[in-house]
Amino acid sequence: MTRSLITILLIILLMPVVAMSSVKLPQPEKISLDNGLTVFFYKNSELPLVSFRLLIKGAGSAFEPQGLDGLANFTADLLLKGTKTMDAEAIAEALDFMGARLDMSAAEEYATASGECLSEHLARLLQIAADCLISPAFKEDEYKKELARKIDTLKAVKDNPGQALRLYFRKAYFADHPFGHISIGTESSWQKMTLAEIKKFYSARFRPDMAIMAVVGDVDKEKLLGILKSTINQWPKPVAPAPSTDLPPVPAPKGKKLILVDKPDATQSYFALGAAGYSVGDKISARAGIMNTLWGGRFTSWLNTELRIKRGLTYGAGSSFQSWKTGGLFMATSYTKNDKIGEMLDITFDLLKKAKDKGFSTEEMESVKNYILGQFPPTLETNGSKANAYLRLIYYSLGFDYYDRYLNEISSARPEDIKAAAAKLLPESDFVLVVVGKGSEAKKQLEKYGKFEEKKITDPDF
Amino acid sequence: MPKKMGLFLFCLLFLTVWLQATFKKEDIRVDKLENGLKIIFYQDPKIPNIAYYTFFRVGSRNERPGLTGVSHFIEHMMFNGTQRFGPGEFDRIMEFYGGSNNAYTGDDFTAYTDWFPSQALEKMIELEADRMPGLVFDPQVLESERGVVASERRMSVENNNEAMLNENVRATAIMAHPYHWEVIGWMSDILGWHRDEVRQYYRTYYAPNNAVLVVVGDFDSEKTLELIKKYYGNIPAQTPPPAVTTTEPPQMGKKQVLIQKEAQSPSFMVVYHAPSCQDPDFFALSILEKPLLRGESSRLYRRLVRDEQLAISVSGGIEEKIDPFLFTIEVKPRPGADLDQIEKTIDQELARVFDQGITEQEYQKALNIIKSDFYFSLQTISGKANLLGAAEVLFGSYEKLFTIIDSYAAVKRQAIPAVARKYFHEKNKTVGKLIPEGGKQ
Repeated sequence: MTRSLITILLIILLMPVVAMSSVKLPQPEKISLDNGLTVFFYKNSELPLVSFRLLIKGAGSAFEPQGLDGLANFTADLLLKGTKTMDAEAIAEALDFMGARLDMSAAEEYATASGECLSEHLARLLQIAADCLISPAFKEDEYKKELARKIDTLKAVKDNPGQALRLYFRKAYFADHPFGHISIGTESSWQKMTLAEIKKFYSARFRPDMAIMAVVGDVDKEKLLGILKSTINQWPKPVAPAPSTDLPPVPAPKGKKLILVDKPDATQSYFALGAAGYSVGDKISARAGIMNTLWGGRFTSWLNTELRIKRGLTYGAGSSFQSWKTGGLFMATSYTKNDKIGEMLDITFDLLKKAKDKGFSTEEMESVKNYILGQFPPTLETNGSKANAYLRLIYYSLGFDYYDRYLNEISSARPEDIKAAAAKLLPESDFVLVVVGKGSEAKKQLEKYGKFEEKKITDPDF
Repeated sequence: MPKKMGLFLFCLLFLTVWLQATFKKEDIRVDKLENGLKIIFYQDPKIPNIAYYTFFRVGSRNERPGLTGVSHFIEHMMFNGTQRFGPGEFDRIMEFYGGSNNAYTGDDFTAYTDWFPSQALEKMIELEADRMPGLVFDPQVLESERGVVASERRMSVENNNEAMLNENVRATAIMAHPYHWEVIGWMSDILGWHRDEVRQYYRTYYAPNNAVLVVVGDFDSEKTLELIKKYYGNIPAQTPPPAVTTTEPPQMGKKQVLIQKEAQSPSFMVVYHAPSCQDPDFFALSILEKPLLRGESSRLYRRLVRDEQLAISVSGGIEEKIDPFLFTIEVKPRPGADLDQIEKTIDQELARVFDQGITEQEYQKALNIIKSDFYFSLQTISGKANLLGAAEVLFGSYEKLFTIIDSYAAVKRQAIPAVARKYFHEKNKTVGKLIPEGGKQ
């Protein structure tokens, strides 16, 4: 009797302190168009707004030919720079006139088109978006202007050590793997780039049968169907078989790879430490999410507590997991004065070891569960975030109940599960470490970690 | 012309009607405690969360030389310990209850923005009420946080060419008014503040009679008010802070700033003195800003980026400020671009506005942008809380949010050239250039 009472009390104590009202992602309607495009639709009449998002599989940067970094984003950019019936200025004018947003961009695995507007403008916005996707003009002069801008943007990025760090890290970590392609291009890729390559990439990879679409907002289904038929459904399905979207497994570092990028005028040194993560939908996702939140994923995480809150070494420190179909990445980053980078790295490695050896306390477990569950509802608050979620769940075949399952796993995770996740995922001796900073000051402090390959920020490429 | 006017009026009417249907002034509840704390409630239960925003009427505008950046520093110290909760406890407890937060300091106000599940409401009220009067400024913690802010300055200003140029241009254009310095403050001040000065500043400005709470989300306003009374009711009001009385004297001629530093590409900006957000001219300039600077269809983007290819990007405009501030035109030049040519092109485009104004199409575009931006921010409980609080602090009342469209509608398209001429002239202008050291312009 007494014993079971204690058990009940313990269970109550271990439950999240606030019983969370859950938010469910509403089930969308599925609409299949003649040209092979599938559209997921959810009506939300709260505000007179509509968001849509279109994902094109296999049109991301990972599918660029070797050496043509930036091609996928360049292709996406040029879609908005003129069609057979509208020139670049006409497109910009039409979009700005409505106060609408239309973006085309490329991630690693896919390209996306996303738009958002007042409901009254939806027909016009989808007409423009479809026109850009179906009949881009790819004019030589627009290509040249855009190329010149990209070359200049690259220079500006190298003036900003925090931005440059991420690009140097990408090349260092992924090397020849397709995820190593730099989305803003490199000095050498821009030299090799041609408009013909862009046209080729577009023809092969932008196809309706490789696309999925989500529409969320204040529009009736019948009306939306009419608009879709006269716009995106006009995108013809090609006869040629779809190109492969297979990708090699995301690499996992063996041993240490150390790189120091010298930026002589930097007043701070920036580091990125990376190691193997896990693929989307992996069973470890929820446990890894908890572990990362505690270690480096929120303000009171271990990493931010030690580097910022306790020692004032930095304005920010954090870690994250990024996942794709074929694997994932763990990355921790921060920055500090050039003469403190060694101290900062020592603390970071100590914290990694501590998490692997000791894991996390019951109180931390309770806190992290409340935190993840409590912060979840706002992530699906807007039309755009719902549309995003639908496409993500479809693309990675996770199922529309994914978030419910994920949050359940969060609630039921035990401290030993999280310790095991830390032991498995946090790096010890197999990692990539990149430092961007004032080399003459940083170098001495870094020697103890091993031999760093040295680069100069002014050298071409990353 | 009358026909188009009719269409335009219809659009505005439509907007007003819609606004009333979704986000109504009548649904907002306002209360004031005896100690002067004002609370704005808007119940919006679509997600089981609450946005709890505290606005203090203090920013870098209230500072003085030697104490620049102290408003922002106190924002940091607000997480570093009270008599009841030790350093870092605020964040630890808040995250334990499922909440997260941020805070930001501006020229005119400091905002503390909390997002949490509804069940955490009482704990969050307790924590927020506790730190309004209760900070201890432990000397050791203060020194550590000083390091964090110095690091923030190094990152956001000293390692950022645009920010460094911005700081120099602002300090040159604005001579007397405290908008002279950036929110982050000068490095020597960051390194030099004394604990007793910081505490005194905090005591003056972090008072219930100098604050506004905005609560939006899934809660019961009656019960919430009781909780707020319970935790904030005993905090004493303070003597109202001194008014900011310095008026920026008229500029006597064009000013220029030149920075030479190691860089791969140059930076360029030009600023003009501009009116406060409560001045009717503010709305005219805010409308003009859209066809001039906003989006790839804007005049300056077309000229500088597309046609003449002198720049990578253009941005800027007028900002909502309590006192007169600046209209900014910021250009990221292409490496090697002729910066004088950029300035000349901007002058030409402004002269075109003086002569011909903006077209009906451009005018309508500006209003469409204003309308859709407004709706985009109403999508989230945090967006609503932010709009309500900013309207209260900057425009004098949250109610202005519901008539702000009228202020835009009151701007006649034909009046824009005169307003442009009033502000965009040589004696009102400061030009800033950052030129890569050793390299050509």
